[in-house]
Amino acid sequence: MALFAAGVSHKNAPVALREQLAVDDDKLRELLRDALAAGVVREVVMLSTCNRVEVYGVAEAPGAARTAVFGTLCRQRGVPPAVVEPLLYMHEEDDAIRHAFRVAASLDSMMIGEPQILGQVKDAFALAQSCEAVGPALHTLFTHAFAVAKRVRTETEIARHAVSVSFAAVELAKKIFAGLSGRAVLLLGAGKMGELAAKHLVEQGAFPIYVVNRTWSRAQDMARALSGTAVPFDELAAALAAVDIVVTSTGAPTPIITRDMVARVMHGRGARPLFFIDIAVPRDVEGGVDALEDVYCYDIDDLKQVVDANIRERLREAQRAETLVEREVAKFRARLGDVEVVPTIVSLRERLEEIRSGEVRKTLARLPDATPETRAAIEALSAAIVNKVLHAPITKLRESSRAGSHRSWLEVVHELFALGRRA
Amino acid sequence: MYSYLLNAAIVAYACATGLSFAYLVQRHEAIHRLASLATATGWAAHTLALVVAAVESGRPPLGSLADAVSVAIWVVVLVVMIVERRSGLKLLGAFAMPVVLVLGLKATVARPPMLAPALGNAWIWVHIALALIGIAAFVLNFAGALMYLLQERQIRAKRPGRFYYRLPALETLDHLTYRTLALGFPFLTTGLILGALWARASWGSLFAPDPVAFFSVVAWVIYAGTLAGRTAGGWRGRRAAYYAIVGFAALVLTLGAGFFLPGMHGA
Repeated sequence: MALFAAGVSHKNAPVALREQLAVDDDKLRELLRDALAAGVVREVVMLSTCNRVEVYGVAEAPGAARTAVFGTLCRQRGVPPAVVEPLLYMHEEDDAIRHAFRVAASLDSMMIGEPQILGQVKDAFALAQSCEAVGPALHTLFTHAFAVAKRVRTETEIARHAVSVSFAAVELAKKIFAGLSGRAVLLLGAGKMGELAAKHLVEQGAFPIYVVNRTWSRAQDMARALSGTAVPFDELAAALAAVDIVVTSTGAPTPIITRDMVARVMHGRGARPLFFIDIAVPRDVEGGVDALEDVYCYDIDDLKQVVDANIRERLREAQRAETLVEREVAKFRARLGDVEVVPTIVSLRERLEEIRSGEVRKTLARLPDATPETRAAIEALSAAIVNKVLHAPITKLRESSRAGSHRSWLEVVHELFALGRRA
Repeated sequence: MYSYLLNAAIVAYACATGLSFAYLVQRHEAIHRLASLATATGWAAHTLALVVAAVESGRPPLGSLADAVSVAIWVVVLVVMIVERRSGLKLLGAFAMPVVLVLGLKATVARPPMLAPALGNAWIWVHIALALIGIAAFVLNFAGALMYLLQERQIRAKRPGRFYYRLPALETLDHLTYRTLALGFPFLTTGLILGALWARASWGSLFAPDPVAFFSVVAWVIYAGTLAGRTAGGWRGRRAAYYAIVGFAALVLTLGAGFFLPGMHGA
């Protein structure tokens, strides 16, 4: 029996193929049941997202199992298997464990650290459970994978820094202001990205929100959507004086907020910082505004630069996550080994105990005059012999499980002690 | 025993400084834990050293400027440990520990501690203690100002580097420098007044010809100006941070003068 993970992902298969192979939950159930019924796998979980279609399983012959499962899938989706077969990857044993951990921890994702994949893996696992396709091996594998994913999220920063422009702007605001709750925001213009950034700020507790637009009715609509206040366009300067963060996204051909305007506003603000998030193209805030003391201004290119830096930071953090995963793989292998070895040790003990107690009973039946001391001595002697005999094989089994070579030893022990067919 | 313990403490502080720098570059929690451990170990050895010194001489370990500085950095390390734990500002060590190390080295290489003849008066101990708490606050003031300037530069440059991710918000850092200034200033002021009064009592003049007194008045003027600017003039941010650094430079000159120039505080 071997653990394996096989499939296609964004790393090796084009989107055109992935979208052809992606299946819904009903089809997944059918596939899981077919695979179990055909007897090619003992346990199986299937994951289908827009970036990957994968099978995790336990099988005598993983290669054959992969071919069988993807063969069925291809027939169902009307894709020639010959197209898919060369793109399929195959991970076995430790590599399969590592792959499961990396996928769940979002290290194998297109955008490293994206949070959806863990939920998708959990759903796939639950679906397989509902089809009774999950046995002890995949159960331990996936519960461990969820724990690893959680560790990676909390102990590294792979998911910490924003990879979208609007979130990057919010994070920047948090590097200027100590917390955003109670910070006043001015939204100028009705661009989609500006609205999104303003929404994020509101979610972080920013309040109150003012909305300025050349078209009064649009200002009112937007203000309603954000639970803010619409302000007439000619009161822009007064609004600037009152707020901490300004988000601009108008379609104006020339800058609306000039350096002179900001310089005048800053004069009466008592050195409170003012942060411009200028998402408009062409820009709404005149260049050089942030040369003024306490004024910070990020335009769309600056924000993209921050996003790029954030992605690089995620990749750096991913390196740390990979070492963490590697350690967890080793830990898991040891545990898996123990899980497989323990039942054999138990039945070995039971077998010898059976022999011992039977022989002791026979012997004592032939010694009716034996004193209680003699009886106790015979019990002790036989128990000691059994323990001494068992010591070496049990130690060997435990060691081999840690080294990952326990499978062949289990066979040997079962044969030698006639323990019967093992599960 | 005293110098042995003090040296052990300095070595531990040196390790803590190195580890704090390493933590700046490599964000491994293990490194930060090691740095904290080194800091705590150094501080424990330092505490023992001060206790031993006090027991051996039968008076507070403030008999010479070197001893006094040693007590000041003891306070700084304690505060750094508390702030790091309380606020999670784990980078503070990297900015404060180098200062601790330099002052600590100065304190050990300075002349052997001996009691200046004027140290009979009880007021003088108060003078020293207050000045020291002031210095401790200004070490943190300096560290906060450095962090502020670094973070401000990163944000203005629009190219986030390591510090951008790890340092807190500008406003938080500005509050740190403001609070340490507001805390340190009354101590420094009272310390200076007591010193001046005591100088008049001893030498009949408010300002004895003493380099420490001179530079500490310079530092006081800088800090007083910053505090006035902050409370009345609405200074904050970069300007306040620059003044914090200039003020601290004057403070370092003060201590340097105490160690290396002749005067009332020196030998």
